[in-house]
Parts: sequence; structure tokens; C-alpha cells
Amino acid sequence: MRPDDRQYLSSHEWVKIEDDTATIGITDFAVDELCSGNEGDLVYCDLPELGRQVEAGETFGEIESVKAVSDLNSPVAGEIVEVNPDIEDHLEILSDDPWDRGWLIRVKIGKGDSASLLDATAYEELIAEKA
Amino acid sequence: METWRLITTWGAPPEFNMGLDGALLEDPEGPPTLRFYTWTPAALSLGYFQRFEEVPAASDAFVVVRRITGGGAIHHTNELTFSLSASLEHPLFEGPVARSYERVHEVVKGALLELGCEAELRGAGELNSDAPDTGMCFHHSTALDLAWGARKGVGSAQRRRRGRVLHHGSIKLGPSKYDTDIASLEGVDDPGEVARALQGAMRNIAGIKLSPGVPSPEERELAEELGARAIDQDFVRRR
Repeated sequence: MRPDDRQYLSSHEWVKIEDDTATIGITDFAVDELCSGNEGDLVYCDLPELGRQVEAGETFGEIESVKAVSDLNSPVAGEIVEVNPDIEDHLEILSDDPWDRGWLIRVKIGKGDSASLLDATAYEELIAEKA
Repeated sequence: METWRLITTWGAPPEFNMGLDGALLEDPEGPPTLRFYTWTPAALSLGYFQRFEEVPAASDAFVVVRRITGGGAIHHTNELTFSLSASLEHPLFEGPVARSYERVHEVVKGALLELGCEAELRGAGELNSDAPDTGMCFHHSTALDLAWGARKGVGSAQRRRRGRVLHHGSIKLGPSKYDTDIASLEGVDDPGEVARALQGAMRNIAGIKLSPGVPSPEERELAEELGARAIDQDFVRRR
């Protein structure tokens, strides 16, 4: 079971909301789709500048595996206030610990709707359909 | 049998080629499309994340564009370029990236066999075409690349966005100034012949019939905008 202290996008990003701050990352399923268990297949992650405003559902970055570039989408609207400084040089963190050390950005939640979010149970059901 | 749109644009400008592929990716509800194209003039395309300085040929090439797909640089001349754009839910693309490559390459392999070329996935090991430090796609191989004669013969890359995928492929009819010492289709001079074989393999292997079509007015408009960006030298040299 994936962590139930956060919510999920169907495009496999997770968001954990504490007060007015959203911490955002990608799920183990997303990592596995990109690299099929071979963590060395992740080659690049492009994360945004601090201070950038994002809309819910908007692309905030991109991740490249050996054979595909995928968009990273923000579940919430707001201002990017923190970017994980370790990710770009240590992509293996995303395979080792996507839920904690593998966070990508923190967003100070602004006005505007969230994207359509799933709880952990609904996300598990989504994954089960794809398995 | 399932039907996809077929768009063929021979001898189109590099910025049009990149712009149209971008437009075909953009609409999550857009029709699944197979596109065949060639380039006039020949151009070098950089992978989305490549640094201009990492590719020595980029400083020498007549025209350089940046793709939205990843991977290494390709010199687009003497080749058939194709793109597949479809939903990530489509049976060709669903699931892990690696599995989608295996399925697409099964189709490409079938087309190559029609042309007398026995290609296989590289699997473990290296190829004679592998060359460090050129930054060229054909000089870097992975287990999922199609090769024959111990050389890489098909360049490929994907971009995934909002539930849709664009899969790029290049099949070489011969080497070029920058794509040296690679596998190519000997005895085939016409990219159209490769396109016809690929069209047949789509039908026979993937069960997909192709119906000739054209980009919609919205796709054309977006292609113009995205193409201008793909060839903008600030964007090309941004990394």
C-alpha cells in the first residue's frame, strides 16, 4: 500500500499537504515505468526555478530515462518555494526512496483549484488496473 | 481493424518537422497518428536535454534544431524519419517504457525484414557503432535498440505528456558525415519504400490500418509556433 498521508495524480505524482505547503514527488510506479527496475536508466531531471508560479496540472519539470522524457505535473497551484537540491545529481534517490528523500519540489499553495486528486486507495485501484 | 491517421510530408523544413511532431503530441484526445517524413535541408537534431557543446557536430552542421524527445543527436539525411503519436493507454504503449519499445520495435523489425534486413534488439553487450563523446544517437546503444551487423540501425526516443506519447524513429538508408560507421539499409534508396514496409508491418503485426490524412488547422497553427521554438538558436543552445 502506498502512503495514505498524501494524495496522488493519475499521472503518478504525489502531493503531501502540511499547512499551506505542498511537497510533491513521483511514485514508485512512475519510477518503475521509466526504468523497469534499472535505476541507472534515469539520466536527467530538470526542476524549476524558485519563485515560479504553477497552476494545478501544469508541467513544472521533466525527467528523462534512457528512452523517454516525461513531464512532471503539479497537483496544486502556487509558488515554488523549495527544490530538492540532491535530485539532479543523485537520481538514484528516486528509486531508493520516492516517498521521503525523493521529494522534488515544495509549493506554497496559492489560490486556484487543485487538480483531480486521488487518495491512496483510489491510486492503488488505478495501478491495479494497469498491472 | 483499428485505423490510424497517416500523415506523409516528404522534404519538409526542419522547423516544420519538429513543430508538427510537437503538435501531434499536444492534444490528449488527438487521433492516433503515424507520420513519415524526410528533411530539406538536412538538419542535426539535438535531444531535449543535450548540451550543444556535448555534440561536436552541432557546431559544424548547417541547421540545428532541438527535439522534444530525449536521447542523442541525429543527422537527418538519407533516412526515413517516422513518429507515432497515441494515447499511453494504447496497447502499443501501455505500461513501462521498455515494454512499449519492445512492441514498437517488433513492428519496425517486421518492416526491416520485408526489406531483407534481419534486425534484432541489441540486448546485453555493446555494438561496433558505439563511440564515446560524439553525442550522436547512433553512437550510443541500449538493450532496446535495433541493430544488425553489430551496429545500431534505428534511432528512437519518446516524449510522454498528459497521457499521450510521441515516439520518434530514424531508419538510415546510409551513413552520413556525422552518423558514421552505423547500420543502414543497403540497396534501398527510397525512404518511401521503407515507409511502405512499415505501413505493412503496422497492419500485419500491430493490427493497425492506416488512412491517409492531413494535420487539422489547429495542429498546423500549433506546429508553426512549436517549430519556431525548435529552431530558435537561444532554445537550441540553451543547455
